[in-house]
Amino acid sequence: MTVPVPDSPAAHSALPPPGSDPEWYKRAVFYEVLVRGFADSNADGVGDLRGMIDKLDYLQWLGVDCLWLPPFFASPLRDGGYDVSDYTAVLPEFGNIEDFHEFLDEAHARGMRVIIDFVMNHTSDQHPWFQASRSDPEGPYGDFYVWADDDTGYADARIIFVDTESSNWTFDPVRKQYFWHRFFSHQPDLNFENPKVREAIIDALRFWLDLGIDGFRLDAVPYLFEEEGTNCENLPRTHEFLKEVRKVVDTNYPDVVLLCEANQWPADVVEYFGENGDECQMAFHFPVMPRLFMAVRREQRFPISEIMAQTPDIPDNCQWGVFLRNHDELTLEMVSDEERDYMWGEYAKDPRMKANIGIRRRLAPLLDNDVNTLELFNALLLSLPGSPVLYYGDEIGMGDNIWLGDRDGVRTPMQWTPDRNGGFSTADPQRMYLPLNADPVYGYQVTNVESQLRNTNSLLQWLRRMIQVRGQHPTFGLGSYAEIGSRNPTVLSFVREFGDDVVLCVNNLSRFPQPVELDLRRFEGYTPIELTGRVEFPQIGVLPYMLTLAGHGFYWFELSKPTEPVVEETEDWASATSSAVADSLLAAGVVSDTEETPTDESGGTR
Amino acid sequence: MTAEPRTALTDLFREWIPQQRWFGGKGREWAGVTEDGFFLDRGNPVLSVHRVRIEYTDGGRDTYLVPLSWRDQHAEELESALVGAVSNEGRETYAYDAMRDRESTAPWLIHLAQGSSIGPMRFSPADEGHIPEGLPGDIVSTEQSNTSLVYGQEAILKLFRRLEPGLNPDVEIHRALRATDNEHIAPLLGHVEIDDAAGGEPATVAMLQTFVPNASDGWRLATASVRDLYAEGDLHADEVGGDFAADSRRLGAATASVHADMAQVLPTEEAAHDWFATVARQMSERLDAAIEIVPQLAEYAEGLRAVYAAVAESDEQVVRQRVHGDLHLGQVLRTATGWIILDFEGEPARPLVDRRELDTPLRDVAGMLRSFDYAARHLLVEQPEDSQREYRAQEWAARNRAAFCAGYSEASGLDPCGESPLLRAFEADKAVYECVYEARNRPHWLMIPLQSLSRITDRD
Ligand SMILES: Nc1ncnc2c1ncn2[C@@H]1O[C@H](COP(=O)(O)OP(=O)(O)O)[C@@H](O)[C@H]1O
Ligand SMILES: [Mg+2]
Repeated sequence: MTVPVPDSPAAHSALPPPGSDPEWYKRAVFYEVLVRGFADSNADGVGDLRGMIDKLDYLQWLGVDCLWLPPFFASPLRDGGYDVSDYTAVLPEFGNIEDFHEFLDEAHARGMRVIIDFVMNHTSDQHPWFQASRSDPEGPYGDFYVWADDDTGYADARIIFVDTESSNWTFDPVRKQYFWHRFFSHQPDLNFENPKVREAIIDALRFWLDLGIDGFRLDAVPYLFEEEGTNCENLPRTHEFLKEVRKVVDTNYPDVVLLCEANQWPADVVEYFGENGDECQMAFHFPVMPRLFMAVRREQRFPISEIMAQTPDIPDNCQWGVFLRNHDELTLEMVSDEERDYMWGEYAKDPRMKANIGIRRRLAPLLDNDVNTLELFNALLLSLPGSPVLYYGDEIGMGDNIWLGDRDGVRTPMQWTPDRNGGFSTADPQRMYLPLNADPVYGYQVTNVESQLRNTNSLLQWLRRMIQVRGQHPTFGLGSYAEIGSRNPTVLSFVREFGDDVVLCVNNLSRFPQPVELDLRRFEGYTPIELTGRVEFPQIGVLPYMLTLAGHGFYWFELSKPTEPVVEETEDWASATSSAVADSLLAAGVVSDTEETPTDESGGTR
Repeated sequence: MTAEPRTALTDLFREWIPQQRWFGGKGREWAGVTEDGFFLDRGNPVLSVHRVRIEYTDGGRDTYLVPLSWRDQHAEELESALVGAVSNEGRETYAYDAMRDRESTAPWLIHLAQGSSIGPMRFSPADEGHIPEGLPGDIVSTEQSNTSLVYGQEAILKLFRRLEPGLNPDVEIHRALRATDNEHIAPLLGHVEIDDAAGGEPATVAMLQTFVPNASDGWRLATASVRDLYAEGDLHADEVGGDFAADSRRLGAATASVHADMAQVLPTEEAAHDWFATVARQMSERLDAAIEIVPQLAEYAEGLRAVYAAVAESDEQVVRQRVHGDLHLGQVLRTATGWIILDFEGEPARPLVDRRELDTPLRDVAGMLRSFDYAARHLLVEQPEDSQREYRAQEWAARNRAAFCAGYSEASGLDPCGESPLLRAFEADKAVYECVYEARNRPHWLMIPLQSLSRITDRD
């Protein structure tokens, strides 16, 4: 397959010098890519870092600004690598530290940054720290984990993986004590009360920072500390530690971003930005995603309007991360029970599609592969406040395999070509870490990068154009957000404003064509210019601005300022004429003279 | 008052008023018209307010309020708002509908903010709330019996066109509810009254209320949901994505909360025993009158009388209170945080004293239930018969009616939709009223209330 050649010459695409663009993440388009699933360079059926290097041109062509790599550390892989057994080693099947270094340099040379996942809350039970802790309670690691003689502590903490775990405590037959784990029982929680643990974690972070990475996505941060009588989430000590991490970063590693994963309501998540933006610069906005799905299914904007209205302001240097799908299930933790039932009913008709408290599906099958809806969702993702995070494969509309266990259904190999193994690997198809999707619609024979590169109308080409358009308007990343009222409940309209860069987005959430009348009086005299074709629309006046949208259609308009200022009539002229008019009306007896009580100099004659 | 030169203006009104949507006397012949006007503002443009008294040949009379803006040159962009020109000493002065002349909309708020009195007109700001002085107002396109101006995203001024002595219930109720901080109403910002020349009670001219931005009315939301259902052919109302029941439920709760607060701050009274008989008799009388106009109603007359008779015999405990009086999906706004109930004027066609009478909240519940029926069926109007859709419509209405009632009873502890003969009768009464309205205005919609009556009378 011919890899597309990036538009811009390499010289222009290298990263700016360190320290010169501290808020790059506010304008960036992120792309989450699983090393295992992207490209296999050594024909062992497993994707690796060298394979990813070969695909960097593609990602640059697509317009990605920053790659997010979920854990690629040494791990027994019982939880997709989130069960780390060595914080400073690469999983051998992915390559080694030298490979990672080269990958990082190549990405930087193409103007792309790289952030990596870091799981602080817990390790794998195979981590040497845990092995030492269980066998030698009095040794240096004895206090690295949270041990107890019984399983009654912290009873108010909920169980997260309700499908597989029945308690947050598991008995260890070696140490003959219970250990604490918020996730799987093979992932013991580290004991952050222990200063040695905190030190060890910061050392591990430094290891990667010294290699030159551009940031961390901090996994499962709300759970670092525990405290009796609380739900053991979002505790003050946890925030204290994150502030400490941020200090390390700010002091020594300019332009590094911390992106926290706190699957909480936005009102609670904002705490992770710190009061003055001194904690994490980014956090995921979890509830937006299910609300987008709900709004389109309900054909009304209110699920989105509601969540946007409930989203608190964040410090200036901070940014939300927004996404449609990622490697986890479509999270339904952030919706009410009633909404959750609704979402399950709508989007996960087969029980196998449900996982934990979410839906394990990819974007395209969730939307029945409907082109218009896929485009609408992506347009919303790229235009709502926050930095968009794409999930590998969704740019071509890859499908899921709901017959695979756990969350593997959305982690199958990237589909590059219609050839053997979808161009992902030259190994024997039997050796693939997961089988390629061979579905008649979503399978690699039909849905792949190569064929979509050839077709200018493909989802891939469309998405690239939209990313380019987004890149031309800083307001998408930096601007304020204000919904524009209209009576039509099926249309969501909003304005993004950043200085003179004003963009109006109008989205039809209904499958039927819809008219909408927008109250754009604030922009009287402006001319809307549609952003994909740069066609000028009629100038905005004081009357409601009328638009019609196709089913699931949307518009992005630049609102271009009038060149001539609107001339205000002068007061003198006005009052001279008006008193003559009033006098003649009085003279004609059309209007009788009135007294005004109480009188006030300005009263009535402004 | 000067008589002669005025003829010019009344002549203009004779031409112009009958063409206005807010004019309720369409089709009635005018026997005479007089008017008196005064300046509200002598800035540019000049703004005057006129009371126009119309006498009809049938003996009835109405007084309408007409604000005019004046210019000494015709303004091209106001062509559609032109009322006409009056001449004096060879000079023409042009009169425009001031509600459509953006430049003459500011004085209303300025005077409200100042609490001015101008001629017979008194401006009263509410005790709390910000009046956005200085903003121009834009006319709301859905003008009906009143005319509304929206000032920015902040306030909405409703001008009551037909003057009636007494405080308008919309002002009265909103003013009383301010004390409750109910989150389901749009707070009152002020109102304007005009003294009666003959010394009677002043009439309400206008009401200023907080504007609810970015809202959609319930009718549009409900019909979007119905459209979604019809597009799904084989799915049931509770299975489609556009299900509206959660919204209906919240709307029920909002209605209950407003009812409870109205009972708290406005008069209530235990219904006397003969109240039921009176209500039943009134409904029967309305039915008799309606049959004259809609002969198709005769078919249901017997069943309806039985429904009303059950009310007369009722021994329900009913506390009468002030109610909304004209509650339907078009009177509620969905915002990003919930439902807002608007327009406590009652049915505008009824005399003001009647509209201020105590009633039971069931009247409003019945109104909303009827509205669900309308929303479910309006897409069937003028469509070839389709029993599948008919069935779906029925299912949608039943589901949302039930959800509304559930929301209402969760919030109030009273299930309004149990086996109350009163509710059933109110629904029937409302449907009878709708038959008359449809027969007069939209005959092809008549099937909607008729089919409902067939269901209501056939329930036993
Ligand atoms: N406070 C308000 N905020 C926003 N819109 C309003 C408000 N009041 C009225 N409207 C809009 O104006 C329309 C008519 O209002 P309403 O009070 O029902 O007047 P009318 O008596 O003319 O029907 C409503 O359907 C609604 O769309
Ligand atoms: Mg912990």
